[in-house]
Amino acid sequence: MKFRAKIADAACLNHFTRVSCMVAKLARTCTLRIRPHTLNFILADSAAGGGVSMWCELPQENFFSEFQMEGVSEENNEIYVELTAENLSRALKTAQNARALKVKLTNKHFPCLTVSIELVSVSSSSRMVTHDIPVKVIPRKLWKNLQEPAVPDSDIIEANLNGDLNLKIESELVSVTTHFKDLGNPPSASENESEDRSPEQMAEVQVDIRKFLQFLAGQQVNPTRGICNVVSHKMVHFDLLHEDVSLQYFIPAMS
Amino acid sequence: MTRPLCSQPMRKGVRGRPLYGEATSGEGVEVEREGGVLEASEGVGSTVPVLGTQPVRAAAMLKCGMSGSQVKVFGKAIQALSRVSDELWLDPSEKGLALRSVNSCRSAYGCVLFSPVFFQHYHWSTSVEVNGTKSNLNCKLGMKSILPIFRCLNSLERNVEMCKIFTRSDKSKVVIQLFCRHGIKKTHNVCFQESQPLQVLFEKNTCSNILMIQPRVLAEAIVLFTSSQEEVTLAVTPLEVCIKSSTEESMDLNSSVYSEMFVGPHEFEFFQIGVDTEITFCCKELKGMLIFSEATHAPITMHFDFPGKPLALSIDHMLLEANFILATLADEPSRASSPQSLCLSQKRKRSDLAVSNSKVGKKDNKAMESISRKVAPRNLYADEILSNISTLENSGSPIMKRVNSDTEEEPGSSSLRKVKEKH
Repeated sequence: MKFRAKIADAACLNHFTRVSCMVAKLARTCTLRIRPHTLNFILADSAAGGGVSMWCELPQENFFSEFQMEGVSEENNEIYVELTAENLSRALKTAQNARALKVKLTNKHFPCLTVSIELVSVSSSSRMVTHDIPVKVIPRKLWKNLQEPAVPDSDIIEANLNGDLNLKIESELVSVTTHFKDLGNPPSASENESEDRSPEQMAEVQVDIRKFLQFLAGQQVNPTRGICNVVSHKMVHFDLLHEDVSLQYFIPAMS
Repeated sequence: MTRPLCSQPMRKGVRGRPLYGEATSGEGVEVEREGGVLEASEGVGSTVPVLGTQPVRAAAMLKCGMSGSQVKVFGKAIQALSRVSDELWLDPSEKGLALRSVNSCRSAYGCVLFSPVFFQHYHWSTSVEVNGTKSNLNCKLGMKSILPIFRCLNSLERNVEMCKIFTRSDKSKVVIQLFCRHGIKKTHNVCFQESQPLQVLFEKNTCSNILMIQPRVLAEAIVLFTSSQEEVTLAVTPLEVCIKSSTEESMDLNSSVYSEMFVGPHEFEFFQIGVDTEITFCCKELKGMLIFSEATHAPITMHFDFPGKPLALSIDHMLLEANFILATLADEPSRASSPQSLCLSQKRKRSDLAVSNSKVGKKDNKAMESISRKVAPRNLYADEILSNISTLENSGSPIMKRVNSDTEEEPGSSSLRKVKEKH
């Protein structure tokens, strides 16, 4: 299993750092999946996390000037490692004035993701900084839990097919509703989409506001497009697209 | 008639009449009174205004003033010292006003000495007993009380026109007044506890390794280390300097990130490495020093030797001098028998100790007793340390002593008020 990559461009480094910070805000530990052409940050849903899950995908060519990997085996040319997301984002944040950043999988006493940074100091001489981030290799038998979730057929709710979205909170004393109008509706993927569904009919789901807030607060990458899918009484799914990075986030309904 | 060290002429006040029985002290005998009326009892410091009798004694006093930009530097010093400990001594002398702090396990000491010319005005005096013994203002404040006053330093710098600090040993509090724009005056009364300050003696210049560097470079290094990593290791050779996470236990998945940064000799303003070494010390106190050095724009000098011997971080500036002495981790486990922290001695408890301390302190110029610090629980209390004083005296030179006034006698107990509860 090998992985070695390099970022030489400041803008790419900055972008990658921001994605990593965003992931760190959404998940404490997450899985990094390395494939020949993509990198994924994955948070699988779990009872401990309250059922929230996250899937973030980046095409590696847009970030790395050099990228070499060798997966677990020839037919399974992938690497899955688990790490504490904040360790990576913090290490990347120290690299803001870097001339170059290299990341590779190493084994120093135990597996690490080693980030080597060549900093440029004011006197224009280089300074080397290294961070060894401990990781855990995820065995192949657990890979099936970490696959890309299928986008469910959804009723659009409290959002409807007319482009209205309502966010509502209710407490004993007060109820507040925010109305968004004239939003777009993406074309439905399924042909069986209920055509008898009235465009005005609202579908609704109730979610834990803290999880919703955590998702919103984590946004560091201004997406060019965002889609909100609601499965009535089951879950809400956010799909954000920014240039080449896509982030999907699922929040289950409160039971 | 000796004058206090002050760069500004007296504004108004009553001068001329010596406050003490004998005008021998030479330390600031000026007293300023804004109201213009000198009350005899206040002027000489006794708390009970008894007409017609001789005053019992004169109180130790500190009075100084600063402008807005000076307040910022002063506040930064307090913030830096708050990283060392929760308590702060105000210790005025002819050299200036020293702010001192020692942590509870005696593994870190900080002192920032502001020269009298730093201030807009600066007066101080010792207290004088009837029998002539003198003692300093022994004023210890809680950080919790004083730190909030010096928060938001940038806005203080903009808004404060003058800051005045006044205290006397017979009053129970320090008065800090901020005269701000728009006629706003904020007065803070901070209670203090009477306590003799501790001072560390450390011969920096005998260290084999001396590095001087701009604070920005150190700050860039320190930012690599998370707050969960308490200790950092500085590894030096004549070719390079490396600052890295301290790894004592073998690392595992749950450990934090291991980071290291190499800095070349050319990045230092002064680079002298006499002995290759790796020393490990606490990051928190270094961060405190960095905060302060960035405010003064002065480079930091590091003096150190081998593991176990303290590391001194200092800033030498025209108007002030800062020294942070940090214990470093010792290599040998055999250190267990020696004191586990910066040794200190207290002058006032035993007069024989007092005499030998001051002599030793003055004559012994060699490197001080090595100190070692265990990673294990830091539950050393002052009493515990002080009770070991006599053994320390026999084993080597103590490196910390109570600040003493010039006399070698014990201050009489009558000059020491009962310890007041901290505010």
